[in-house]
Amino acid sequence: MFKKRFLTMGLATGLVLSALAGCAEKESGNSDVDSDSGKEVELRVWLTPQWKGVLDGSEEGADYDSFFKHAAERFEKEYKDHNVNVNVEVVAGDQRDELLNVNLNGGTPPDVFFESVFAMGDYAHRGALVPINDIVDDAAKNDIAQNYWDNVTFGDDVYFYPFSQNPGTFAYNAEMFEAAGLEKYIGGEEEIKTWTLAEYEEILKALKENLPKEKYSNAYPMGLFALNNQGDTWNLAYLRMFGNQFFDKDGQLVINDENGAKAASWMKKIYDAGYTNPGAESVSSNDVNAMFQNQQLAISFTNAILFNNAKADMESGKAPKFDIRLANIPSESGDPLSFTYVTGAAVFDTKDETRIQVSKDFVKFMSTDPELVKASKNGVPVRNSVVEEFSAENPFFAAYAANAPYVFNFTGNVPGYSQLRQVLYPELQALYTGAKTAEETVEGYQTKGNQVIEEAKANSVIYK
Amino acid sequence: MFKKKAKKREKIDIVFNIIVIFFAILSLFPLYWLVTSSFKNSADVVKMPPDWFPKTFTWSNYADVFSNQPAFTWAYNSLVVALVSTFALIIVSALAAYAFSKLKFKGKNILFIIFISSLMIPKEVMIVPLFRIIQDFGMVNTLSGMIFPNVATAFGVFLLKGFFDTIPDSLREAAKIDGASEFKIFYKIMLPLAKPGIGALFILNFVQVWNDYLWQLVVGQSKDSKTLMVGIATLMQDLNPNFAYKMAGATVAAIPMLLIFIFFQKYFTKGITLGSDK
Repeated sequence: MFKKRFLTMGLATGLVLSALAGCAEKESGNSDVDSDSGKEVELRVWLTPQWKGVLDGSEEGADYDSFFKHAAERFEKEYKDHNVNVNVEVVAGDQRDELLNVNLNGGTPPDVFFESVFAMGDYAHRGALVPINDIVDDAAKNDIAQNYWDNVTFGDDVYFYPFSQNPGTFAYNAEMFEAAGLEKYIGGEEEIKTWTLAEYEEILKALKENLPKEKYSNAYPMGLFALNNQGDTWNLAYLRMFGNQFFDKDGQLVINDENGAKAASWMKKIYDAGYTNPGAESVSSNDVNAMFQNQQLAISFTNAILFNNAKADMESGKAPKFDIRLANIPSESGDPLSFTYVTGAAVFDTKDETRIQVSKDFVKFMSTDPELVKASKNGVPVRNSVVEEFSAENPFFAAYAANAPYVFNFTGNVPGYSQLRQVLYPELQALYTGAKTAEETVEGYQTKGNQVIEEAKANSVIYK
Repeated sequence: MFKKKAKKREKIDIVFNIIVIFFAILSLFPLYWLVTSSFKNSADVVKMPPDWFPKTFTWSNYADVFSNQPAFTWAYNSLVVALVSTFALIIVSALAAYAFSKLKFKGKNILFIIFISSLMIPKEVMIVPLFRIIQDFGMVNTLSGMIFPNVATAFGVFLLKGFFDTIPDSLREAAKIDGASEFKIFYKIMLPLAKPGIGALFILNFVQVWNDYLWQLVVGQSKDSKTLMVGIATLMQDLNPNFAYKMAGATVAAIPMLLIFIFFQKYFTKGITLGSDK
């Protein structure tokens, strides 16, 4: 009996295995494409989730890859030099580096990657990307402000074609503000409200003390998180609250000074006062975002895409509906603390000249085509022409533009930024749990951070 | 006197049972919370005080998981990868283990030590070279790319050799005298006797492959070639405030494993306690 079962099992396994092996598809984008003949070129385009739909999330079947599939389809039809086939894949943000590193080591990086520049800068330093200066023309330079070009320039070369930006701010629940008697601090529906630091502390205190418990049970004034590196740009902004320079001209961290310690001390102070959610050391930005949307937090972090998604979720009934508005991160000087994620496409060095050239042409096509660039309205467009076209439809574009003078480059374009992110949150965890003082926290971050930067500099092709 | 002692012992047993039941409930609570929350709407999941049982019962979270994502394809992929690689591993391991246990050949012990030594190399170290091999075979984005590396592991050989070692050599010798070939002895006599070991290996390997994340992530790069664990992980990372939806995704990933454990508990326990008795 057992013998028969075993043999059947073995035969079945053998059959399935051979069937599966036979069905093995050829990995697209490998160097075995017929690039020399100039006929068949297969590109792999990867992106992390950005926006849904081609131009708008309300389109039927809208998904994260809709825009890129549409752009790919048009490119395949309109491109004359080669017969191109573009495969689009969406990669989860947390899976990006694992997939890229294995594929880079395996010699099969994707041809094009669309992502926030800050998350991909290290690949430029590692020499995994090719410069794309040759596809940037004067028309693009004139339409896109210089600060975005600075953001995508490493050394002397442009590595990402700026497509849209995603400014980071606070989001707040205006109804909770009202309930706590904070009407005078509520900004307009289409405004990014700026509070002074003193006002902000007053707001936190009032929310803590006056928020009606029967309506907002288990709610806290502000979201604070340090579980991992996700959303750490807001933590970096808080560390600049008292005017810290952060990076010096040599790209070294200079957070360990009086202003840096004051900022860390402020974070600990609001945490200890109960102005934030408890357990910040074990809470992620995802958790905070969900808590805010479920009205357990009055103030949380957001960016333009998250803000639009939150409003869409409320409209569709996926999340409780409330009056959500925007505010700037305050600072001691009174100026808002503002930063932005520039998103754009980069071209990987696949060692295949034809594929690299076609990839560059695809990036130029999707980043300059008058119809396609309209999709940047899902975030905030980097092109003045698109901002002008859609400013009536989205009044926030003007508000974000007003913040532009206060934007700081949070990465400093330093090498090793990804590893640098791994250094910050353990220090913040130590701060919140009381294992380190504010002074020790900034000292630890600076010491360990500068080690990371030094090591990365030694391996950076840009610093050589 | 004896009665009194028995009564006292009974009382102690009751106390211990109560403690055990308490901890059993405590450890089952996360699972209960996961499953019940998946039937709530988003706001009810974070409600304070919580609803210990869903007041409004909805299937919409499951409908969303299966309609927004190719979750059926992911589940199918997981099942095929886990089943096929486990069956293949059992065949390969049983043959190798039998050879190491019963056959006499030169360098057997050294070869076995080399085999066992490979268990000390973490899988993560081998990811890149393994990926290159799979890539050269054109198996990226295929299920076979996920299956084959799981077949070539020394753990099965190690486990089954232990079982074959416990079977007396006299059985093999008797069969040989009766004229049975080596392969006949293997599948007619030895394999049926090693059934508990095969069961334990099946369950242990199935669980390991089902829960494997990194390898399946790098091989299954396209949406339709992902497995359930990798696919569901992308849901968890989504900045979606709907906890109930995420709970539904996590339940979908957990249920098959739970069923496997319930049905094969005997073998699972056997696998864990292997070698603990003489």
